[in-house]
Amino acid sequence: MKKQILLPVITIAVAAVILLAASFGLNSIAADRAQADHIRLMQTVLPGSTDFVLEDYDGEDANIRSVHKSEIGFVIETATNGYAGEITMYIGVNNDGKVTGLVVRDLSETFGLGAQALTDHEFLAQFLNSSGRFEIAVAQSDAFSGATEEVTEASDDTVTVDALTGATVTSKAIVRSVNSAVAYVTGADAASSATTWGG
Amino acid sequence: MKNKTYLLNTLLAAVFGTYLLVAVVIRTFCPQIILPKANIPNLVLVSLVALVLDHYFAPDAKRCYICIPAFSALTFGLLPYAGAFVNPLDALKLAAAGAVVFTVTTLLFTTIQDRLSSGPAAKASAFFSAVSLYMASQCFMGMFL
Repeated sequence: MKKQILLPVITIAVAAVILLAASFGLNSIAADRAQADHIRLMQTVLPGSTDFVLEDYDGEDANIRSVHKSEIGFVIETATNGYAGEITMYIGVNNDGKVTGLVVRDLSETFGLGAQALTDHEFLAQFLNSSGRFEIAVAQSDAFSGATEEVTEASDDTVTVDALTGATVTSKAIVRSVNSAVAYVTGADAASSATTWGG
Repeated sequence: MKNKTYLLNTLLAAVFGTYLLVAVVIRTFCPQIILPKANIPNLVLVSLVALVLDHYFAPDAKRCYICIPAFSALTFGLLPYAGAFVNPLDALKLAAAGAVVFTVTTLLFTTIQDRLSSGPAAKASAFFSAVSLYMASQCFMGMFL
């Protein structure tokens, strides 16, 4: 009986030692590859850029985690709360304030619904080559006919995007991320549509 | 008959350790892949894999409901910390959550198996009970979102 109780203890200890050794042994390779992946992602979302400098950010906008500056624009790492957790994104914005690319780096949204944000190119492409303030199109249904129509109260610089099907909260989180990234570059207030260029 | 009371916790350590080792390799060589988070359905999934294996290796094993939470807390706290997936504070939280999740899952799974232990279909009942419990855990998690 006493010998039997040692079996799980030994297994846990052996597993911990193997994991410790693997983690330490692969640590430098993991760091190199993570850095290479980080640069590759930034070059993808801001095409034509080569070198990046990490900017100091005062944390005024809580959605922005870090800012990387290149000669043609910025890559902004954002983190916003989705339906089932934090959504981390890399958003490329050129010096004119236009979105050049965006990629979801990490999320834990529902499989088949919010997780579509990783792969739904049609949804993500709506942000490309646009500037200003993005908003989700709101569909209103007619109680009698059942027909739906999109209702937006768009101002001049508002860009309306269609939400992911069945994932409005995730879509809104992504829109908040993009608005924060664009506002950082254009100097606009992320909470409003006011824009002060050159800020 | 050889005593297999502690086989369940041994299998849990083996299953979770193997998963974390694969995760270390993926994290190193494919950093772009998003690894699953340590949430309730995923903890339940790891627990159920260990329970199904335990059912087939030791169908009549007795449960020690003092050892199960103690060893599972050690497994869910120590192994992710050793693999550098969590900091010490998160390791403690994961240990507590893992111990509760594993103990409750073991209790539910064992109860279901006790009721389904007769007839020719019983051989597959462990697997299908595990699938049902995993789906139930996802519904349970949905209540908190």
